Amino acid sequence: MVDFNDTIVALATPPGRSGIGVIRLSGTASLRALQRLVGCEDFDPRPNVLVLRNLIDPLTGVTLDQAFVCYFKAPHSFTGEDVVELQCHGSPVLLRAIIDATLALGARMATAGEFSLRAVANGRMKLSEAEAIRDLIDAQTDAAARQATRQMNGAISHALQPLKDQLLGIIVRLESSLEFVEDDLPQLEQQQLLDQVRLIHARFEEMAATFKRGRLLRDGLRVTLVGRPNAGKSSLFNMLLGRSRAIVHEVAGTTRDAITESLGVDGVPILITDTAGLRASVDPVEVIGVDRTRREAADSDLVIVVIDGSQPLADEDQKALLEAAVHSHVVALNKSDLDTFSAARIDDEAAALVKTSAIVSVSAKTGAGLESLRSALLQPFANGTVNSEGLMITNARHHDLLLRAIEAIASSESLLQQNASEELTLVGLHDALRYLGQISGETTSEQLLGEIFSTFCIGK
Amino acid sequence: MVFDEVFDVIVIGGGHAGCEAASAAARLGANTALVTINLDLIGQMSCNPAIGGIGKGHLVREIDALGGIMGRVIDRTGVQFRLLNRSRGPAVRAPRAQADRTLYRLEMRRTLEATPNLSLRQGVVSNLIVEDNRAVGIELQDTRRIGAKSIVIATGTFLNGRIHTGRRTYSGGRTGEPASIEFAEALKTLGLKVGRLKTGTPPRLDGRTIDWNAFERQPPDEQPVPFSFSTEAITQEQLDCHIGFTNERVHEAVKRNLHESPLYSGQITSIGPRYCPSIEDKVVKFPEKNRHQLFLEPEGYSTNEVYLNGFSTSLPAQLQQELVCLISGFEEAQIIRPGYAIEYDFVDPKELTPFLETNLVRGLFLAGQINGTTGYEEAACQGLIAGINAALSATGRPLFRLDRKEAYIGVLIDDLISNGVDEPYRMFTSRSEYRLLLRHDNADSRLGPRGRELGLVGDLEWERFNRRRTRLAGIRSILDHTRVGPRDSNYEYVRMLIGQDFADSLSLAQLALRPNITPHHIKDLLVKTNHNVELSDLESSLADKLYSGYLHTQENTNRRLNQHDSLKIPAGFTFRGVRSLSHEMIERLERAQPRTFGQARKLPGLTPAALSNLLMHLAAGQQPTA
Repeated sequence: MVDFNDTIVALATPPGRSGIGVIRLSGTASLRALQRLVGCEDFDPRPNVLVLRNLIDPLTGVTLDQAFVCYFKAPHSFTGEDVVELQCHGSPVLLRAIIDATLALGARMATAGEFSLRAVANGRMKLSEAEAIRDLIDAQTDAAARQATRQMNGAISHALQPLKDQLLGIIVRLESSLEFVEDDLPQLEQQQLLDQVRLIHARFEEMAATFKRGRLLRDGLRVTLVGRPNAGKSSLFNMLLGRSRAIVHEVAGTTRDAITESLGVDGVPILITDTAGLRASVDPVEVIGVDRTRREAADSDLVIVVIDGSQPLADEDQKALLEAAVHSHVVALNKSDLDTFSAARIDDEAAALVKTSAIVSVSAKTGAGLESLRSALLQPFANGTVNSEGLMITNARHHDLLLRAIEAIASSESLLQQNASEELTLVGLHDALRYLGQISGETTSEQLLGEIFSTFCIGK
Repeated sequence: MVFDEVFDVIVIGGGHAGCEAASAAARLGANTALVTINLDLIGQMSCNPAIGGIGKGHLVREIDALGGIMGRVIDRTGVQFRLLNRSRGPAVRAPRAQADRTLYRLEMRRTLEATPNLSLRQGVVSNLIVEDNRAVGIELQDTRRIGAKSIVIATGTFLNGRIHTGRRTYSGGRTGEPASIEFAEALKTLGLKVGRLKTGTPPRLDGRTIDWNAFERQPPDEQPVPFSFSTEAITQEQLDCHIGFTNERVHEAVKRNLHESPLYSGQITSIGPRYCPSIEDKVVKFPEKNRHQLFLEPEGYSTNEVYLNGFSTSLPAQLQQELVCLISGFEEAQIIRPGYAIEYDFVDPKELTPFLETNLVRGLFLAGQINGTTGYEEAACQGLIAGINAALSATGRPLFRLDRKEAYIGVLIDDLISNGVDEPYRMFTSRSEYRLLLRHDNADSRLGPRGRELGLVGDLEWERFNRRRTRLAGIRSILDHTRVGPRDSNYEYVRMLIGQDFADSLSLAQLALRPNITPHHIKDLLVKTNHNVELSDLESSLADKLYSGYLHTQENTNRRLNQHDSLKIPAGFTFRGVRSLSHEMIERLERAQPRTFGQARKLPGLTPAALSNLLMHLAAGQQPTA
């Protein structure tokens, strides 16, 4: 029997673009979660009836949103389980906050297609119907997964990988000492291992803190402006902000540091960063700036490639496009006020090559195209799939996994402290590695053995 | 087809896999023949004269619990028993024993000769006779033809075996024994996917020429722990092993002569086990180590021969002699038999079903080194399963398999058929995600009933198993219900043990889980409360309690991460009907026949989308109308 013992939550609508965002919960804890969210434990909603309610953060008591809520009682629901739908305002940040609240109430982020799976298992949907939806998802999932992975990998894997490696190293040490008891291994440095585990634990806690709900409300979407010097990045930056902040000079290579400012678009806070031009430079200050550009771009949720539309596409422009191609990006074809401007600077071929989704003609000088550019910033997050996770929601899943990994490591830490036998300590460490594996790749038993045998000379 | 003799089951090869297979098949009622090149070498240990160790010891206890013979044979012929990891938790403890090589062989042969339905035949198999895609018999070099309903191939390192010492290479299955060449070719012609692997062995020394004072003694356990659940006690004389080290002079000399080593000179290209590196490997891969450990293992009671464990090599024989003499304590030592490397054919185990039957030919089972494993224990457990299934197949009964969750045997076979091998496969406890569940001391509770169901566990053993089960249940109950409170006579003792006062009474079960409380303490308390228990029984009961919390957590983690792992895949499920499964994936699924979604999930190459669709199909299948 396919058994569903937990409650899942997911965004049922594309975030950002529409006025409404629908969050759906399915599972035995749905009703209770709804009651906590509306701040009334006795809330007894009539099934299939939309009611207007304030949604409250159960941890802080802060009102998150006013929404239409609807309860579908099992088995008369989409999945055949108890289902709750929350029709909220479409701000991605708000939706993220509400989803986080449901996670805190015991729900788990659904994986792609999980709702249909439950619907099929409970006989609410035919296999063929589910497969039709699946085809749609599968095609999109790759793209969404790639996008999500790219976005997240920049920030997360960067920070995660070295910690995973360290964790693996500790596991290797403990496994070696128990599998190869007779071999001439260096004395198990108990204290050293404990220190290492504590350190990893602390680092993971730090990481988890950055995921906290507050971050997006406070910091917003990260957008980076890239492009060759004098394409007009800083002017565009100022235009978006509506005031002059960056130093704008005629001389190429003026912006030496990354400058970050925040602005709001459709209620979504955006952190926009202006960078030094992506240009090979001999000036040491500039070289540092250029490296930072790459890192900024990697950490961004969206990259705006600024191209001077009044001149033919230069090599550096091509390079900028190619480098931006791996990220979610928008092309701002600048200087539309000039006579030599042509919207065809980036021809169809080039656009297809780097899979550019949006090319917006703008003039930083006159302000033309400003609205289109602003809208385009939110476009990549509106990819129109059913159950698409999107960037911020993937974030929530990773956060959840990280928290569980921390729990597992904490238990191993205390066992290590008690000098417990290795196989007990290893349970939590292996669990932690498996949770992390769900974020950035599993470690197989073969890989573990490989590590053991390349680290220690073992074998009699 | 005219046969000179006809049996139900033929087992080819009298090594560790072959012996288990032949014994099991015969005892399951199949008329069995064990065919081997040399009857005098049945049960011969090719390399290290020892059985067991961590992971391996677990396998032997499982073999015994299921009704196999390896455990009994080593119990009767072991010369140094040691329980490894005594200071660690019960799940990672494992028995190990050195054997008298000759006595082991003789005892194995004696056991087989005392088995009804089992006939021994000496001969070199040259061909397999296959009709209608079914194995029906074998042909021997001397033209005899023997017919059978099922056949087990357990040929070890003999298929196209080539021995390397220095630059010399010659054909051989083991030193002093011929390789099996015609048969190797026959298997290739049959269409089986064949590869090459290698392994090595160290030199043996004349014990009279060793300065024993230069080495550290490694004595046997005071209370030897037997492998077999039916062994009351180990009564034979126990011997010491000794520990020594190489030194930088030896390492230098090895490095200077690497070009003489077949592995480094490129003469051998096949892969050897990382887990059993040659001295050349050790010196090259770990140059920072200025000494490597060696173990001097006695070959038996009535011989001077000493096995030099840790010095596996294929350098030229004369050079081996020079190197050995550079080791402190071996200045006068003489090599009786030089070490060597051997390359041999193996068959890709991905070609096998979970019952160890080949996909290509029905009624044909493969077991042991031929499947890419290394080690006597790894071979024996496969032999047991193959022999069981050969007999079941011959008599038209459903075949037998073990799950990963039930036994390390299940882990081994599942790993082999799912992942294949890049290098010789050896068992480690870390290969199992259920390490806490699969202890050496609970092999009987896990597998005894399965063995009994099959018919391999006899009445005597079954009674013994039941008595133990009852005893353990009794102890668990006593542990739960015996309490010590502030007014009991044992309060002071317990207070001293846990280092603090306590107001609420504690059960012995609760006490046992506290830090620094050992089974001995609990035994003392049991004695004080008029309960007499065997320490080993107590340890098993306590182990169950110790791990139950962690097992629970692990289950939760599994459920969280892989919620549908235990979802059963019904027999006869058509993988072909699942969308987005590539042809290769369908084949792999059909071959592996995963019984649960968890098993399917672990097959390499299945994409998340494919798994997701499979899950969907399984979910839909639950409904009467989909």
